[in-house]
Amino acid sequence: MKLRRITIICFVAAVATAAGWAADDWLDRVDEALNVSVLQDSLRARLSGSVALEGYHFQPPAPGLINAPGNDLFNPRLVVFLDAQYQSNLYAFAQARVDRGFDPGAGGARLRLDEYALRFTPADNARFNLQIGKFATAVGNWVPRHGSWENPFVTAPLPYENLTGVWDIEPVPSDLVLLQWSHVRPGLPARVTAVEKQRRVPVIWGPAYASGAALSGAFNRIRYALEVKNASLSSRPEAWDAVLVGLRHPTFSGRLGYAPDERWNLGLSASTGPYLRPLAAPTIAAGRRFDAYRETVIGQDISYAWHHLQVWTEFYEARFTIPRVGNVDTFAWYTEAKYKFTPQFFGAVRWNQQLFAAVSDGAGGRAPWGAELWRIDLAPGYRFTPHTQIKLQYSLQHEENGPHRFAHTLATQFVLRF
Amino acid sequence: MNPSAQHPRSQGRAPATIRSMIFLILLLTPGMLKAQAVIEGHVPLPKTRTAPVVNKRYEIVTQGGVLSTNPPLAVVYLEGVFPAPATPPVAQLIQKDLTFVPSLLPVQVGTKVEFPNLDDTYHNIFSYSLPKRFDLGRYRANETPVPSQVFDVPGLITLRCDIHEHMRALILVLATPYFVMTDTDGHFRLAGLPAGRYVLKAWVDSKTTLERPVELTVDGVLRVDFP
Repeated sequence: MKLRRITIICFVAAVATAAGWAADDWLDRVDEALNVSVLQDSLRARLSGSVALEGYHFQPPAPGLINAPGNDLFNPRLVVFLDAQYQSNLYAFAQARVDRGFDPGAGGARLRLDEYALRFTPADNARFNLQIGKFATAVGNWVPRHGSWENPFVTAPLPYENLTGVWDIEPVPSDLVLLQWSHVRPGLPARVTAVEKQRRVPVIWGPAYASGAALSGAFNRIRYALEVKNASLSSRPEAWDAVLVGLRHPTFSGRLGYAPDERWNLGLSASTGPYLRPLAAPTIAAGRRFDAYRETVIGQDISYAWHHLQVWTEFYEARFTIPRVGNVDTFAWYTEAKYKFTPQFFGAVRWNQQLFAAVSDGAGGRAPWGAELWRIDLAPGYRFTPHTQIKLQYSLQHEENGPHRFAHTLATQFVLRF
Repeated sequence: MNPSAQHPRSQGRAPATIRSMIFLILLLTPGMLKAQAVIEGHVPLPKTRTAPVVNKRYEIVTQGGVLSTNPPLAVVYLEGVFPAPATPPVAQLIQKDLTFVPSLLPVQVGTKVEFPNLDDTYHNIFSYSLPKRFDLGRYRANETPVPSQVFDVPGLITLRCDIHEHMRALILVLATPYFVMTDTDGHFRLAGLPAGRYVLKAWVDSKTTLERPVELTVDGVLRVDFP
């Protein structure tokens, strides 16, 4: 099965390569045709997007946010963006996807509207921008490259995808149970593994497309962003929709950035908000407020870019307040580098690590409340044309106290953008 | 070639027949004379394209975002065999307000094109076009030396920016020193041409190049309107 799917991906890539040079000009014409303008050019809109074919081979249970039985997963994805600009003051965008779930899974094809937002920029000096809608978080520095074309890897960095022992549908009843929930055990039936993975949350769930409003801007080399959203950074995609979840328990997040020049970008981020889903409310002790149980995140990020080299690093300290347990802390970080060896061939390497604070083990001792791990990701990539590229990724993960001492993941992704 | 250099005044007056023969030889040798012919005319242009929308989805700080519309232009050039320039020409294609200026640049083979960045943000110009593949990497304003490339193979090069997906420009590398861009109405005037028989071409877009055989005479003005 694995070989067949990877063969399909390679075949498509090869065909695209052969047809690429002829199709390139045609895709540019399609791009021009997907730009429209009305009201004497005051209102302009553009449709764009990508088609991605992803293949994964892993040791069960599936790594990160992937939720699929067995060892392999094939995940095709169509992404369509709409960008619209009215004069210089109003900008709107939307992102729709058809795939097997926001996080790669074994389900059928689904259509979702993942993002939609309206941004108001009152003056051309960019000091104030107000944005409302459902959109990616301003925290950290990974979001601008989370798309399949921009991301040099197939998967996300560890803080954005490693599921912890914290559940959002039910608070863990004790330290001891938290230790048992610290990881998804191998060898469970596929159905049980799927349920286990569906209950857990990471520090940040991917780009965190929650709903709300954001104020952002720049004063010389200082940049800021403040956002109020309906769900915490760790919240799952089902919680991001304002219509379903509402804004009764807001999460406040922000980032303060400083860019001394174009090469360097430094940022401090913070976020706090309730991480339990509304359906967990009945399990909270009487008299306790739902939004007293929060996820609080402090983050630091730094990036550097010069000619063909790009480097990004992020550190996240996260605290979950759990009923009957108290505060549990985790620290996750990664550093990632990408280098273009030739105009078309590039490579990336990423070191990820996550550590957990100790809690009582019920026997008079203390133990980390999660499976401490490190992971190294290696990813060569090749751009056949300005519209097509393929990436390969190998990940080696080592868990100190988890199910696998070492786990291997192979992934490949072919992307055509238009 | 300067005819007067062949006949220094210190040698006195040459017989009239010799002078006439020299004049006739030079007149019949295309490219050897000082170029003087002119072609004027018109090229039908495609309709104006809509300016792209800047993708600002994940840029928390955004400024403006309204790009100017680049009207379609054509490049009219005289095809033939011409000597290479003694010194490589230098041209510039700048990045300003997240746009390539100009969006279409014709150059002669061997031209060095510089790409100064006049924005206060990074740009990353690259081309995967077969005549010239390169990637300049990320560079900022005032970078020295100014990033550049020598275009030594004729053909069409599509320039893009790896950071700003809406940015696109074309460089048309021509094996002739005789070319000109039309105005926005399609009118052109190509002056300083050598007398002789040539093919006049009008590059309209990557799929359309019009052509017409022409015969140029010294001091002649030829009118060519492409269909």
